[in-house]
Amino acid sequence: MALYEHIFLARQDVSQQQVEELTAALTEVLAAGGGKVTKNEYWGLKGLSYRIRKNRKAHYTLLNIEASAPAVAEMERQMRINEDILRFMTVRVDELEDGPSAMMQKRDRDDRDGRDGGRPDRGGDRAGFGGERRPRRF
Amino acid sequence: MAIKDLTTAQARRPFQRRRKTCPFSGEGAPKIDYKDVRLLSRYVSERGKIVPSRITAVSALKQRELAKAIKRARFIGIMPYAVQ
Repeated sequence: MALYEHIFLARQDVSQQQVEELTAALTEVLAAGGGKVTKNEYWGLKGLSYRIRKNRKAHYTLLNIEASAPAVAEMERQMRINEDILRFMTVRVDELEDGPSAMMQKRDRDDRDGRDGGRPDRGGDRAGFGGERRPRRF
Repeated sequence: MAIKDLTTAQARRPFQRRRKTCPFSGEGAPKIDYKDVRLLSRYVSERGKIVPSRITAVSALKQRELAKAIKRARFIGIMPYAVQ
């Protein structure tokens, strides 16, 4: 049994309830293949950085999966057929994280920013005049 | 390039900056995660391009990891491929 993180994006016009039903259906597909879902995180309707199939927003769901590869392949096959699913990504991981993912705890993470000043450090040779100059673009 | 001693910070001559260290190595370093947009967004330019490691001082190993994470974040639509 391998461990996977799986994220899928559902169309913006479907309701949250429908997304949950969808998640339940996918969980069942996995269960049929001998797998299980260890965490189910609904991120909500989030704005996309670029349009995907004419959608500007999408419902995000993160699933932590413990299943065999054929079970995951079968779930992905069914997701490709479903038109409510805009996109999905399955990443194999060595270990699954238990707590809420970085996306969920984003708001209360300001404490961390002191560590490196909150922006990338500009490196040696480029930091020449004035030190804080940003790199050239284009 | 010579590694500058920090204690001479005041007397630091121009054109010789101290060497930056990799922000993802060593103790208390953040974990590179494709879901962590806030962390990743520090390593892309205003246009949305990945900033080279010679500027951000990320080590080669971590830069590969970082690039992969940014590309994953782009694919799932939480980061842009290009701004404008």
